[in-house]
Amino acid sequence: MEDILNECLERIFKGESIETCLNAYPEQASKLEPLLKTSLVLMRKSAAIQPDAEYKARAQYQLQAMFYAKHERAEKRARIPVWHRKWAVAMTTVLVVLLAGIGTVAASASALPDDALYPVKLAAEQVRVTLAFSDVDEAKLHLQFAERRADEMTEMARQGKSDKISMLTEQIAKHLDKVFVVEETQLVEGKGPGVQEVRPRALAPPSPAPSEEAEAYGVGKDVEELKAVLSQSWAKSLAALEGALDKAPEKLKPAVEQAIDSLAKDYDRTISIIESGSS
Amino acid sequence: MSIEKDVVSRAIKGDGKAFAQLYEEHFDKIYRYVYLKVGNETEAEDLTQDVFVKALEAIGSYRWRNLPFASWIFRIAHNQVVDYFRKQGKVEKVDLEDDAAPADESNPAHIAEQKFEIAELRDNIKKLSPSQREVISLRFGAELSTAEIAEALGKSAGTVKALQYNGIVALRKMMLGNR
Repeated sequence: MEDILNECLERIFKGESIETCLNAYPEQASKLEPLLKTSLVLMRKSAAIQPDAEYKARAQYQLQAMFYAKHERAEKRARIPVWHRKWAVAMTTVLVVLLAGIGTVAASASALPDDALYPVKLAAEQVRVTLAFSDVDEAKLHLQFAERRADEMTEMARQGKSDKISMLTEQIAKHLDKVFVVEETQLVEGKGPGVQEVRPRALAPPSPAPSEEAEAYGVGKDVEELKAVLSQSWAKSLAALEGALDKAPEKLKPAVEQAIDSLAKDYDRTISIIESGSS
Repeated sequence: MSIEKDVVSRAIKGDGKAFAQLYEEHFDKIYRYVYLKVGNETEAEDLTQDVFVKALEAIGSYRWRNLPFASWIFRIAHNQVVDYFRKQGKVEKVDLEDDAAPADESNPAHIAEQKFEIAELRDNIKKLSPSQREVISLRFGAELSTAEIAEALGKSAGTVKALQYNGIVALRKMMLGNR
């Protein structure tokens, strides 16, 4: 029985159904079925356990840097004469950690959410935020990264990968929330607010009904739902940005204004791509 | 040469992309296994990263003829968990203070339901014997085959199958009792 259960589990892990296995062992089916159903529940519940995406990306970035450092060290050791090694090891380690990090990050700069290097890109952004010299610098970085997410959102829409769009709108909201936190800190510290000037801005009105091209992009209802997600996300982003502009210290205002312009264009572009269908 | 063998060989020679591929392949599974063993999200994150640091340090000495790569890296994970409990001076048990993050979802009701299910799974697994818990965590958390589990734990395949069978029977009774 232990062997039969194990064989059935191997088959289920490969995608076969319980019924296929029960049919293969009709005499044991009554005993086997409840155990296989329990196993399916275990598989489903275990699969729901997932590491935090940000932690995973950070860990990957650190490990990649360590990996490159280790191999560069090994190569240098093989080339450098023994009497040079003591000082060479120290210098190489420092340089390699720096260069490997820079190289990997540079390679990840254009990565999109479905690329292998995308976690490195996010981790590199996190590192930049951590190393920001001031609260204003940190807020500027969050604005810049929100704009990047919006660019990526447009590109994902262009490629017809609508499943990534909701995730990106959440990332944009997270970055803008952090801008707001930074500015509230500035207010508490007596560094703001500046001139109050809020510019109304709205997205182009959505088309009244899904076009044939929209149907080609996906099912019409899905397109409408996606457009609704984007419209809500933009409304939230705009409210956050206008609130930020209201309270921002003078030196941060240009960055907030630029973010409003850039995000408005990206949201408009993404919605129009979804409406007209992906190329 | 199998695909995984090729990837591991390239990682040993210093190919960063190959190492990233191994990371992607095994990271979530190791995290799930460690989480089911320690029951605490923060500890599971730290230990999972430690497993990869150890693997990185030792990968040069890895040889295919001894055991499959999955068994090798899960042997490191197993040792890390054992070491963790030894250093903590704890008997191996599951800490109940922390809820693991469920897979990415946008529906709050579904997230709550998943969290409940994860907690229930964790609570039930902690009631198994240590050997059953080890095998069930490796089988369902890490999705290893019984052959790979046997290699990772240094047990016979027959022993692993028996532990798996008894573990599933015990979990079924617990699940029925929870209703």
